[in-house]
Amino acid sequence: MPPKHYRAPGKKKEGNAAKYITRTKATKYLQVSLNTFRKLCILKGIFPRVPKKKFEGNHKTYYSMKDITFLAHEPLLEKLRQKRAHEKKVKKAKARKNKELAERLLNRMPTYKLDRLILERYPTFVDALRDLDDCLTMVHLFASLPAVEGERIQVKRIHNCRRLSQEWQAFISRTHSLRKTFISVKGIYYQAEVQGQKITWLTPHALQQVLTDDVDFNIMLTFLEFYETLLGFVNFKLYNSINVKYPPILDPRLEALAAELYALFRYVATGSTRKPAENQSISSTEEKKDSDEKMDTCVNESDLQLAQLQHQLPSNEPGALMQLLEDSNNDDDDVDQDTIECKTLFKNLKFFLSREVPREALLFIIPAFGGVVSWEGEGTPFEETDEDIAYQIVDRPTQGHKFLSRHYVQPQWVFDCVNARIILPADAYMVGMVPPPHLSPFVDDEAEGYMPEYAEAIKQLQATAKKNVMPLPDLDNQDLADPQNLIADGVMDRTQANEAAEERQKLQLLEKQYHDELKMEMSGITYSATLSNKKSENSGSEEMQHKDEVVVPVSTEKNDEDDRAKLYMSRKKRGLYEAIEISNQRKKDKVALLKERKRKALASKSG
Amino acid sequence: MGKEKYEESSSDEEVNSSSDVVEASSDEEVESSSDEVEVSSDDVESSEDESSSDNEKVEESDSSEDEVAPRNTVGDIPLVEWHKDEEHIGYDIKGRKIKKQPRKDKLASFIEGADDPKNWRKIYDEYNDEEIELTKDEIKIIQRVISGRTPHAEVNPYEDYVDWFEYEDKGHPLSNAPEPKRRFIPSKWEQKRVANLVRKIRAGLIKVSDQHKEEEHNVYSLWTDDTDSVENKKHGGYVPAPKPKLPGHEEAYNPPVEYIPTAEEINSYELMYEEDRPKFIPRRYLNYRSVPAYDKGVKESFDRCLDQYLCPRTRKKRINIDPESLKPKLPSRKDLRPYPTTCYLEYRGHMGPVNCISVDPSGQWLASGSTDGTARVWEIETGRCLKIWEVGEVARQICWNPSPDRPILAVVLEYDVLLLYSGMGDIDIQTKMKELLHISEPGATEDAGDSKSAATWIQHEKHDGIRMKHFKAVSSIEWHFKGDYFTTVVPSGDSKAILLHQLSKKHSETPFRKLGIPVTAVFHPSKKKFFVATKKFVHVYDLSKVEKIQKLETGVREISSISIHPGGENIIVGSKEGKMCWFDLELSTRPYKTLKVHSKDITRVTFHRTYPLFASASDDCTAYVFHSTVYSDLNQNPLIVPLEILRGHKPEHGRGVLDCKYHPRQPWLFTAGADSIIKLYCH
Repeated sequence: MPPKHYRAPGKKKEGNAAKYITRTKATKYLQVSLNTFRKLCILKGIFPRVPKKKFEGNHKTYYSMKDITFLAHEPLLEKLRQKRAHEKKVKKAKARKNKELAERLLNRMPTYKLDRLILERYPTFVDALRDLDDCLTMVHLFASLPAVEGERIQVKRIHNCRRLSQEWQAFISRTHSLRKTFISVKGIYYQAEVQGQKITWLTPHALQQVLTDDVDFNIMLTFLEFYETLLGFVNFKLYNSINVKYPPILDPRLEALAAELYALFRYVATGSTRKPAENQSISSTEEKKDSDEKMDTCVNESDLQLAQLQHQLPSNEPGALMQLLEDSNNDDDDVDQDTIECKTLFKNLKFFLSREVPREALLFIIPAFGGVVSWEGEGTPFEETDEDIAYQIVDRPTQGHKFLSRHYVQPQWVFDCVNARIILPADAYMVGMVPPPHLSPFVDDEAEGYMPEYAEAIKQLQATAKKNVMPLPDLDNQDLADPQNLIADGVMDRTQANEAAEERQKLQLLEKQYHDELKMEMSGITYSATLSNKKSENSGSEEMQHKDEVVVPVSTEKNDEDDRAKLYMSRKKRGLYEAIEISNQRKKDKVALLKERKRKALASKSG
Repeated sequence: MGKEKYEESSSDEEVNSSSDVVEASSDEEVESSSDEVEVSSDDVESSEDESSSDNEKVEESDSSEDEVAPRNTVGDIPLVEWHKDEEHIGYDIKGRKIKKQPRKDKLASFIEGADDPKNWRKIYDEYNDEEIELTKDEIKIIQRVISGRTPHAEVNPYEDYVDWFEYEDKGHPLSNAPEPKRRFIPSKWEQKRVANLVRKIRAGLIKVSDQHKEEEHNVYSLWTDDTDSVENKKHGGYVPAPKPKLPGHEEAYNPPVEYIPTAEEINSYELMYEEDRPKFIPRRYLNYRSVPAYDKGVKESFDRCLDQYLCPRTRKKRINIDPESLKPKLPSRKDLRPYPTTCYLEYRGHMGPVNCISVDPSGQWLASGSTDGTARVWEIETGRCLKIWEVGEVARQICWNPSPDRPILAVVLEYDVLLLYSGMGDIDIQTKMKELLHISEPGATEDAGDSKSAATWIQHEKHDGIRMKHFKAVSSIEWHFKGDYFTTVVPSGDSKAILLHQLSKKHSETPFRKLGIPVTAVFHPSKKKFFVATKKFVHVYDLSKVEKIQKLETGVREISSISIHPGGENIIVGSKEGKMCWFDLELSTRPYKTLKVHSKDITRVTFHRTYPLFASASDDCTAYVFHSTVYSDLNQNPLIVPLEILRGHKPEHGRGVLDCKYHPRQPWLFTAGADSIIKLYCH
């Protein structure tokens, strides 16, 4: 009896055994240690697969054999081997107390570049944008870690992350492509839309981060290494697309004041306006560069460039001027409705941030939606005493001196406004008040089946902002009118009434659907009669009873129908059907739980 | 110094010529040191006086001259010349002058020397200005040195040579080739290499230390326009990592009240399994400034990293379909009418669960058997109970003879089968039946002798019928369509489990042997075929040849009942796990369709004689009505449509509907329930 997976000698492997390889075997095949293999996999983006048949057991990790041969041909593999050999040399030199040699060797450590890998993994720019979520989250996380010498992370890299993240934010803000923001317990979520790709990332709160010990920083740093390079190239491409030179050169004064983002804004803003000329000069005239450098004043420089332009354009590139014009028009022309909406949300509004407000987040968001923002400190665009300030964002229990011309709001107001795309009334967000609940913009309330109260309020505000009142069904109107009195009585809430109305509508629909099937009991007239009777009564419990009465016969009828159809399904389909039913039921339960909690909360509040 | 002493001593010996010890001294030596001798002899004379005290000292120091530091500290200077006219010869260690000893004149010293027998041993130390007396051993050493031997007698200068390397059993000794020359001169190639490197460094080809590190910030336009147009050419089905889940309302720092679980709910999470427990518990902060740093931020990011490179990725189709679309398109029920839908009549009267029912071939009468020990006959139209037999035992099964001119009922009791005349029909039939159900005694004995243990035919006096005694418990009975033969099944009967009886001859036989445990047996409605259902299989026999034709594999756990389509080519099998199998005998030995119908045991499946209907009854208190069209065209599969679920019976001791039968001519269904009611469902 041959063993289970016996293969005659000389016979090639077939099927899954040929297509897949376990991790241990892969490392042996590549002749690398597990650490190196891990690093290679991370950098090359290779991940385990699930073979149809796990020929070496369920507990093993399988890689595609193609992936592994792909790795075997990777020049990076050779580089990593060289690096390891070099590290050994350094170690040896150190052990021999040959400091000089060790230092010299350390300086000559073999290095590798990841640009080729990036192009390989993301052949097109859109691919790179599509996979940018994790990259941005990670870079933002590391940017917020303490840059302390002697920690597990090099200070240089943290600074690099910080720079990259701010460059990204400056771009997003400049192009007004931020769409959604959300303050969660974990940090602040942002969603931007770049070239049609929705990119979501999370930035931690601007507080001291905790470095736990149950984290292997080697793995994270390997990821970060790739992400840093990727984000660098992405930023380059993006800055180029708006005609700004990359890497940006910042005003050292602002940088010293820890206002890099603002410095970047200024750079980008000035860069994008001045850029076309500059770009032209650089690309066209290499030999004139020397003379450029000699010129001291900016005015002179630009004059010269203009002259150069006029001189060069007709002869060299006839289409260049057209290009230039297009570039200038670009800003207004090819942007979609969404961007315009975002751009104009805070237009002509001046904001001022108080000292205690997290500056970076707001400094990023407000300009992204067209607002002008300043803060307390040096090098700010305008002072707190500026009369034009419309909103001052404060996050303190009380505000001592108040300017009457401006609103004092909590930071959440900005986030809610951005998500709702309207300027919300600032009354609820006043200093010292408990702000209304903050809602996630990433949830589709209708699909979820539960609409929080405040979401509805915002919806109505949006509708009124659009100058068209929401068309309400007749029933709803009636119900809405009723509960106005009832709120005073403390019996019922408007949302509850809405729900009841919806229930009734649903029931009516059901009834219509099964009207022809219902034979004797439940004629339409009696149903509506009972309905109208019940409508006059407003107690919730009775309504529930009424609902039960109506629903029971319908449901048994429907159940029969279901059962009949279910009988004939194949086992697979029946399983699927039941799974769907279970998940639907779970969703319903969730909504029911939310409603129950809401009811209890209201009861406890009123009682 | 020591050597000088020896010379001196030797010179002394020369002086003391009377000494017999020293004999072999060379003449040259004597001559060369003759001056010294003279001088020294002067010295000896001069230091004669204090010799006694000095002698003691010398003896103390003995042979260890090296250990005792010289008294004089002036160093190695020509004493005779420099201190000739001085009072002292030098300074001791404390810096005091060492006085010269008073000189003895030569004569006095000579006389003294002649008197002293030890004089030949004495030598004069000029440096320290003292006389030293040599010991015996020292003399010996001196003598040995003079004779050219080793100073110490115990030293053996010619010891046996012990080689440091063993040559025995070794192939050859280590090479003792001389060191090559190249080891001693600088390498030519190293020099060339260094020269080369120097040249390269000068030319700037190799960058040394600081120059090496500068290029760091080298980003460029990686994606050019032509890369954008390149087709996505990733190998081997690259699967991008799924994006992290976006946060919902509950993750907000200030979520709506209804998203925050109550304290009881949070406590109840503790009771959950670790996997089910929610990872994130929403909390509410009243303002933004009070939100703390998220302590799991780094950990979560790390977990995400792990997921990205450790988790296997596959493309999974996310099914986003309407569950309604999964339901098969069934033909409208309206088109398949008539079929039983509503309960029309109830036959009440039994005192216990009604085990079995059977409908008269004419469609007028209904017979039923119950656990209360009675068998009854009802008029279908009116629900009137016509006749009651007190059989005394649980009536397990009742079966009406399919032949219209033989209104006979077969009732299965525990071990017996009763054949009773139902009392229907005119006087002519009545007399015929009397004859038929009468057993002449000899015949019975003859049969009993033949197949004694199988069944015995006995006249039943009380009900005026036949009583067939079986050797073990009987489970089911089935008539042949012509009404003469019938079969009974004795599950525990081993080789005699299936019995075939002939009514007209009152004869029984057991034609089938070697079966498993049979459950039921049925005759083919038109051909000479016989179906025996064991627990998992259905065996099909040809009755004329008495051989097995087919074995149907049901795939169910335990068969409870089977029924044959009137056409004879299709069978339904009901099982105890609630499944029903439809077999097409011409298609396959495996089920054409398996329907999971009931949640509990199926007690009975049955076909309608004329309408395309069949039904199943189950212990879950329901009976299902199906439509089934069997086409004569072999290419067309039979059409099976579930039509109606009939409810109405109440569960009793975990049992529901125990039997169901169709009316022979009308689309009506009778069901017998464990709640001792028989129901009639009409269209």
